Amino acid sequence: MMTPEALSALEQLNEMRLTADEAAEMLSIFRDMEAHEAALREIDTDNVEIMVHVMPLTNILRDDVQEQPFTRESLLEGAPEHTDDSWQVPRLVK
Amino acid sequence: MRYEAVIGLETHVELATNSKIFCSCGGHSTKGEPNTRVCPACAGMPGMLPVTNRRVVELAMRAGILLHCDISRYTTFDKKSYYYPDLPCAYQITQWFHPVCRNGSVEVTTKDGTRTIGIKQIHMEEDAGKLVHDDWTETTLVDFNRTSVPLIEIVSKPDFRTADEVMAYLEKLKTMFRFANISECEEGAMRCDVNISIRPEGTEELGVRTEIKNMSSLSSIRRAIQYETARHLDAVERGTETLVQETRRWDDVKGRTFSMRNKETAADYRYFPDPNLMPILIGEDWIRRVRDTMPASIEEKTAEYQSKGLSEKEIASLTSERALCDLFDAVTAAGRDPKEAASWILTECGGILRKHGQVMGELRVAPEKLSRIMEKVSGNEINRAAGRKVLEAVLYEDADPDAYCKAHNLSAQGDADAVRQVVLKVLDATPNAVKDYLGGKKKAFQALFGGCMKELKGNGDPQVIRTLLEEELSKRS
Amino acid sequence: MGQFVTEINANGVIAVDDTIQVKGYETRAGSRILEGFKPLFSAETVERLEGAGYAVAGKSAVGEFGLDLLGEFAHGGPCLDASGALRGAAAELVAAGQVRGALNVDLNGAPRRAAALSGVDFLKPTYGTVSRYGVIPCACSGEQVGVTAKTAGAVRELLRVIAGHDPKDGTSLPAETYDYGNGKDVPGMRVGLVRELTDAASDDMKARVTAYAERMRGLGVTVEEVSLPLAEAARTAWNLLLCAETCNNVSRYDGVKFGYRSPDYRNIDELYVNSRTEGLNFLTKAVILYGSDALSKGRYVTCYDKALRVRRLVWEQVKGLFKDFDALLCPACSRTEYRPYAIADAFKTVFEESLFTAIPNLTGVPAMASGGVQCFADTLRESSLLNLAEAMEGSGAK
Repeated sequence: MMTPEALSALEQLNEMRLTADEAAEMLSIFRDMEAHEAALREIDTDNVEIMVHVMPLTNILRDDVQEQPFTRESLLEGAPEHTDDSWQVPRLVK
Repeated sequence: MRYEAVIGLETHVELATNSKIFCSCGGHSTKGEPNTRVCPACAGMPGMLPVTNRRVVELAMRAGILLHCDISRYTTFDKKSYYYPDLPCAYQITQWFHPVCRNGSVEVTTKDGTRTIGIKQIHMEEDAGKLVHDDWTETTLVDFNRTSVPLIEIVSKPDFRTADEVMAYLEKLKTMFRFANISECEEGAMRCDVNISIRPEGTEELGVRTEIKNMSSLSSIRRAIQYETARHLDAVERGTETLVQETRRWDDVKGRTFSMRNKETAADYRYFPDPNLMPILIGEDWIRRVRDTMPASIEEKTAEYQSKGLSEKEIASLTSERALCDLFDAVTAAGRDPKEAASWILTECGGILRKHGQVMGELRVAPEKLSRIMEKVSGNEINRAAGRKVLEAVLYEDADPDAYCKAHNLSAQGDADAVRQVVLKVLDATPNAVKDYLGGKKKAFQALFGGCMKELKGNGDPQVIRTLLEEELSKRS
Repeated sequence: MGQFVTEINANGVIAVDDTIQVKGYETRAGSRILEGFKPLFSAETVERLEGAGYAVAGKSAVGEFGLDLLGEFAHGGPCLDASGALRGAAAELVAAGQVRGALNVDLNGAPRRAAALSGVDFLKPTYGTVSRYGVIPCACSGEQVGVTAKTAGAVRELLRVIAGHDPKDGTSLPAETYDYGNGKDVPGMRVGLVRELTDAASDDMKARVTAYAERMRGLGVTVEEVSLPLAEAARTAWNLLLCAETCNNVSRYDGVKFGYRSPDYRNIDELYVNSRTEGLNFLTKAVILYGSDALSKGRYVTCYDKALRVRRLVWEQVKGLFKDFDALLCPACSRTEYRPYAIADAFKTVFEESLFTAIPNLTGVPAMASGGVQCFADTLRESSLLNLAEAMEGSGAK
């Protein structure tokens, strides 16, 4: 059962903030979904393997070859804040 | 009551590959200017999809074979989520559910004897980027060169009891991995998280466990273990504090550990299987192929070199570095005498490196060039001293041995006819010295010898000069 | 209506959804958080179309990350028809003849829904047959690039260009070409009308599906009612996977490397939180929060892992039906018309509507909206869908 406290922690974990109205709506979404999840849990999956991939491919590997087609300038061009050679963020440690 | 420490290690080792684990950017974390080994994927941009580097899987298998692990028949990648500016996608691709190797062991030897340390698992993962804190701008600069560089994480069982054992283990892994070309194990390419608890000797139950994160120097690891063990002892025996299970950080300057009470340690990583990466199935054939193409182990090399007549000391020196063995093997394969080859590599190359303030590990020389120099010396084309001179030029000027000898007129020094011409010239030019010598003043020989050496610019073979001088002088008596 | 968010070439013939990258042109995936983001490479599908001589006309609007019903919460506002009803931007561009076709990402059924409402065709191909390289990723385990066009023949033509192995996509199947049918072989085909999905639709939608089935029979197709008891479970499972995978994939948008950064921050935490709070809409936030919770320590086994097991059961159930049927017929959405609504209701609305679209995303089978309804077929049996649609289009179903 999702609680306002747990929701607040979830917002922090995902680096975002909901307004009070949004939080109320979010709790309602969780309540709705909990009913659907309960129905899912009714299904017996005791002897069923998980299915991560729908197509049965295995061992998709590439050779160890280096390529460098992108320039630093082009990568940094769209950065909100950057120096000549690096992305920039507020200082992390004093 | 006597207590013992219970220590477990998580060791991250950067793999020696050309490219990163999931993209084709250069794989070496310490090379290059910031953000020059980066693509949109490394910068967290959307659109690119990860494709696993086969070499990474094979190097992880290699490590598993060396550490006597079971290689998984089925191995997969998972995503681990957390926010930090060095993690551009805010997730790390790692192995949580099905690691590539499990259940291994390694023997470590300390002054107290040899013990077996269990290996819980080895898994593959991508490294994070690097942050540089800039005082001038009050900002942190983000470099993604190291992002997605391949790592293996070796998780030991909590089988260590002393810092000495941990040191011996790390040294052993380092030598082993370097020797098998798994990792270059350079500074910073091997990083450890250490788990510590203490318990009364003879009991099984574990005490409160703390984890010290992300240390890369051996001396820090030793000091951190000693500090943390003492802190636990004080807490348990004298009640100085109440221990809590937590993650701590080692401060090398202050010489103590600090609690890391931040959200990073409280994070729920929300692991789940990565839908973009298909499972990897490892069959017997593949394992055999990896085993068969693995470079010989230190033990195998030692036996091989013993049979070639090398001394224990020579063997120990050569097997300290895979590259030295490779060089030795290439030079002997080219037909050079093994004892001579060992001597040229260890004594001659070693001496020249020392003179330049370098160590054996930094030796970079083309085997063909070293072999050619040895050939010239053993064929008396040049003497050993000249050979040493050529070698120095090869090492530091990237010279070609033949071209260098020609340019510096070294090819004649071992040639008796050419030396004889010099001897005759000196004898003709200094008739007084000749007369003195023939008159019994043996000291005059030194003057004549010196004259020849001078004429040969110091590159003459003393033995040859002496013999020829004596020969020619006897003709004039 | 039918406008590009970014125009690229006045002579272009293809619209590309804003969730698919075109090198050098702003790609926002309908979101403020990607403001100013200009991709450094084009999607493989775009490269293939351009290589075959199809120029890209522009980027068509999508809802933020393609998570909504029809693009109603696109950054630039919804696409509406003359009556004020919601429409999909790409589908409208195709319907109006402004482009010959469009590339769309089918994440949770939006392009299928849009095609059904605009009376054009959209085919979501079998998972792994079309490269996802260059797609703004959300739910990688089930999203696919598909084609919108006016006729099945035009869909087939474009699909042939974009499909085939791409080594840059590790889930790409090895085949270079696929069988997309010949427009024949329809008489004698067997189609199952999915009871659970038809029953869940509005009366006018039910009538539309029934009429479509009747016309199919007129072409010599056997149509029988079939049951897919796991249809609701499939919806829950797909939405769990979609939210969890999307949560993980959109966590990269944090104001540090590209796109939108909030002007209001004093430290890294505020930079992250404010950029994401201001840059993402409530639907995306709800998807992220629900998905994050489904992956959390306490819930992984009962939510995410459970959904992965149910996925296999649904897959087996669907595969079982395809032993007896060439295609499954059902509505693409519950109603024949949608009106703008508040974003607070978006999560629940999309969840409800995904009942009709989730199975192909969850199981990877191909699905095609045509004639205002949709059909599913077995893995790699796009030929059945295209042949049926082409025959129906010829029979005056449109």
